[in-house]
Amino acid sequence: MVKLLWSGVVMVMLLSGCGWDGTPTRKNDFIPLTSIEIVADSPTIAVSRTIAKNTSTTLSVKGNFSGLYTSDVTDQVVWTSDTPAVAGFAVASVPNRVSGLIPGSTTLTATVGNVTATFNLTVSDATITEMTITPVNPTITKGSNMQFVVNGTFVDPATSDTTTQDLTFDASWLSSATEVATVGVTAANKGLAHAVATGTATISATFDGVTRSSLLTVTEPVLQSIAVTPANPSVLTLSSEPFKATGTYSDGSAVDLTSQVAWSSSNAGIATIASSGTASTLTQGNSTINATLDGVSGSTILKVTGGNLTGIVPSVAAITLVKGTVARISATGTFSNSTTRDITGVVAWSAANTAVTVTAPGGNLAWLNASAVTPTSVPTIITAKYGTFTATTTVTVTAPTLQSIAISQTSLDLTAGTSSRLTATGTFKDNNGTITTQDVTASADWTSSAATTASVGNAGLAKGRVSGATAGSGSATITATYGGKSASTAVTVRTRIIQSLTMSGPASAAAGNMVSFTATASYIDGTSKDVTEDATWTIDTPNVALLADSQNQPGQIVAVAPGSATFSASFGGMSKNATVIIQ
Amino acid sequence: MRRTIQMIIALFLPVLLCGQVNAQHSGPYVGAFIGGNALMKAKSSDDKGTFSLTFDPALQGNAVLGWDLPPGSSAGEGRIELEYSRRSNPLDKETFAEGSFAGGGNVTAESLLLNCYGVFHDKTLWAPYLGIGAGVVRIKASDLTVAGQPLSNDSDVVFAYQVGTGIDITLTDHLSLDLGYRFFGSTRPQFTEVNGRKFYMDYLSHSAVFGLRVGF
Repeated sequence: MVKLLWSGVVMVMLLSGCGWDGTPTRKNDFIPLTSIEIVADSPTIAVSRTIAKNTSTTLSVKGNFSGLYTSDVTDQVVWTSDTPAVAGFAVASVPNRVSGLIPGSTTLTATVGNVTATFNLTVSDATITEMTITPVNPTITKGSNMQFVVNGTFVDPATSDTTTQDLTFDASWLSSATEVATVGVTAANKGLAHAVATGTATISATFDGVTRSSLLTVTEPVLQSIAVTPANPSVLTLSSEPFKATGTYSDGSAVDLTSQVAWSSSNAGIATIASSGTASTLTQGNSTINATLDGVSGSTILKVTGGNLTGIVPSVAAITLVKGTVARISATGTFSNSTTRDITGVVAWSAANTAVTVTAPGGNLAWLNASAVTPTSVPTIITAKYGTFTATTTVTVTAPTLQSIAISQTSLDLTAGTSSRLTATGTFKDNNGTITTQDVTASADWTSSAATTASVGNAGLAKGRVSGATAGSGSATITATYGGKSASTAVTVRTRIIQSLTMSGPASAAAGNMVSFTATASYIDGTSKDVTEDATWTIDTPNVALLADSQNQPGQIVAVAPGSATFSASFGGMSKNATVIIQ
Repeated sequence: MRRTIQMIIALFLPVLLCGQVNAQHSGPYVGAFIGGNALMKAKSSDDKGTFSLTFDPALQGNAVLGWDLPPGSSAGEGRIELEYSRRSNPLDKETFAEGSFAGGGNVTAESLLLNCYGVFHDKTLWAPYLGIGAGVVRIKASDLTVAGQPLSNDSDVVFAYQVGTGIDITLTDHLSLDLGYRFFGSTRPQFTEVNGRKFYMDYLSHSAVFGLRVGF
C-alpha cells in the first residue's frame, strides 16, 4: 500500500508543470537599433510624398533591430525639417504630424539615438475641388461617440494631377447644437462627436472655404449591462433575500431596474424569486439569480445554507389559558445538518376554531389570544406549517375567577439607562375550588407613577419592561392591573458610572444554528447589570452570520455560512467585540 | 545506447528480484549522485514587463553527508542529510514581446540543503523514500546574452527548497544504490541587467539522479 502511494506521488511530481506559459510583455531593448524607415500614413507611402498646401499628414517610423525584428519607434523620434518655411512639425501634441505651409520641397529627418532616416515631402499648390464627410447622417445613443472623417479632392494647377487627402485634422469642426452633440476641435479629438442629449445636431467640417455637413441623431441611451446585488450572498434556508438590479447605460448612467427586470432563479427547488426581486430560499445549494431586460442580463449566485427543514417543534405542546389572556408561542425548526433555529416568523399559523386566534406581528414573535372558552374535550388546535411540515399545539381556554395578581419583584433597584422585566402572575379559582396560576404579564395593564424616572412598557413584548431614565435618580411605583386586581412594585433608579462592558457567548457555531450572547455592564460601585436588551448589537459579515431578530431577540445571531464574523455590543458609550467562527 | 540499457537491466534485475535481504544500515553515511536536470522555462520580470528564459537540460552532481536513523527510531525510519548540489544550464532562448531570440550563457545553481527523508522499508531489497529539504542556493547568471548582445552577468543567494523521492536498493550492509527524482526550487533571485535594471527570475527544476551511498 505504501509503495502504491509512493508511486502515485512520483507520478504527480513528474507531471507537475513545465514552466511559465504566460505572454511576455517586455520589449527587447537589448538588441541595437540599426536602421529606421519613415512612412507617411493614410495612405501609407514610404520615401516621399506630396501634400497640398495647408494640409498635413502623420508620419510613422519603423525601426529595424539588427535585422532580427522590426518595431514601431515613432514615439522615440526627434523630427526636423530642412526647410521649415515649406513644411514643419508645428503640432506639439502630435509631434509626428507635418504640415505643408507653402508650395515647395523639403527633406524631413527622423532621428532615434544615433540612427537617422529622411523623407522627401513636396507641398503642392493644389486646390480643393471636392470634399466628403462620413458617416452620412448617423444615429448614435446618448453618451456614445462618433468619429467623423472628411476627405478632400485636390487638383494641382501645374500638372492637373488629382489627389485625395484625409482632411479630418486640417478642417475646422462645428456642431450646430452643442447641447445635443459636441465635436472635437483639438489635435487629439478633431471630428470626434460626443452625444450629450437626445435630439439632432448638424456636424460641419470646413476647409479652405468648403463646408460639408452630416446630421447626427442622438437617441436614448442603450442598456449595456445589469449588475445584481448583493453579489454572491449566503442566505439561510427558509429566508428571504431582496436583490437589486442596477442597469448601466451607454451614457454611463446607472439606473435602479429592480422593478423592471424579469427575475428568475436557475433552481426553483433551492430558491424562488418574486417579480419584486425578493428570493425565498427553500433548500441548501446554489442557484443563479438572473435579472433580464431588453436582452441584457445580469446574474449572481445565491448560496443557500443552514440545512433543509426536517421538522417543526412548537414551544409548548399543550397549554391552558384563561379567557381574555394572551401568551407567547414560538416554533423551532430542525434541519438536516443537525441544527435548530427559531422559525416563528416563517411558519404559517392557523387555529382550528375562533376560540383561540394567533397573531404574528413580525419577526420571531407570535401570540395566542384566548377569546372564548373551549369545551374540555375539544381544545383548539393551533397549527404551525411550512411546506409539508406541520406542528400543533393544543390550547384549552377556561374561565376561572381571578383572585389576585402579584408582581415577580416587590422592589427593583434599577441603574439609569438600563431596563428590567417584571412579571405579573394571576391567581385563579374555578367553580370546583381549584386554584391555578397564569402569567398575565402580556395581558395586564402596566403604569408608572413617575414615567420620567422609570417608564414601563405596556404593549406587546415590552409589557412589564421597566426602563430607568438615562440620567438622574429617583423612585417610581410600577403597577400592573388585570381583571380589576392590581399589584405594585417600588422602583428605585440610581445613576451609576459604567466601568466596563463584557460580552459572553460561544466562540463558534454551526451554520444554521442560532446562538445567544450576553452583554454585562460593570459599574464603578462594584455592581453589574445584564444589559443584553439595552445594548445595540451589530455584526459585520451578514454572509457569515446575521442578527436573529434585532427587535425581539437582542444578542442572538444565526450562523449562515463558514467563516469569521465580528459581533459587537454597544452600551453606555462603550463597545465590545467578539469573533465568532462559523463552521 | 540500447546496449547500455540492456547492460543496466542485466546488472540490476537480479539484484532487485533475487538478492538476499541485508541488514538495514544505521549511522553515518556519505554519498555521491549524478543525474540529468531540466530547468523549467522561467518567468522573468523587471520594471518594463515580463519575458521568459528557456534553458537546455544539463548534468548535475550532488554530494551528501548524512545519518541513517536506526530501525524503530522514535523519529521514524529514514535519514537526515546535508546535501551539496550543482547544476548549470545553458540559456537556450529568451522570449520578449517581439518574439524569441537565441540565448547564450549559463545559469548555475549551487545549493546547500538539509534534507529529511522517510524510507518505507519492508522485506524486499528496495525501499521507496520521500522527503523534503530546505537551505540556500547561490544562483549565478553567467554571461547571459540575447542574440549575442549582453543581458546580465550577476549572482544572488536565495532560499531554496526541494522535494525528493526515489528508491533505495540495498547492495550490501553498507552500500546502497539510490535512484531518485528531485524537484528543486527557490525564491526568485534578482539579477542586474546590462542596462542597470534589476530583474527577477523563477528557478524551478526537475532532476533524475542516481548514486551510491556508503554507510559506516
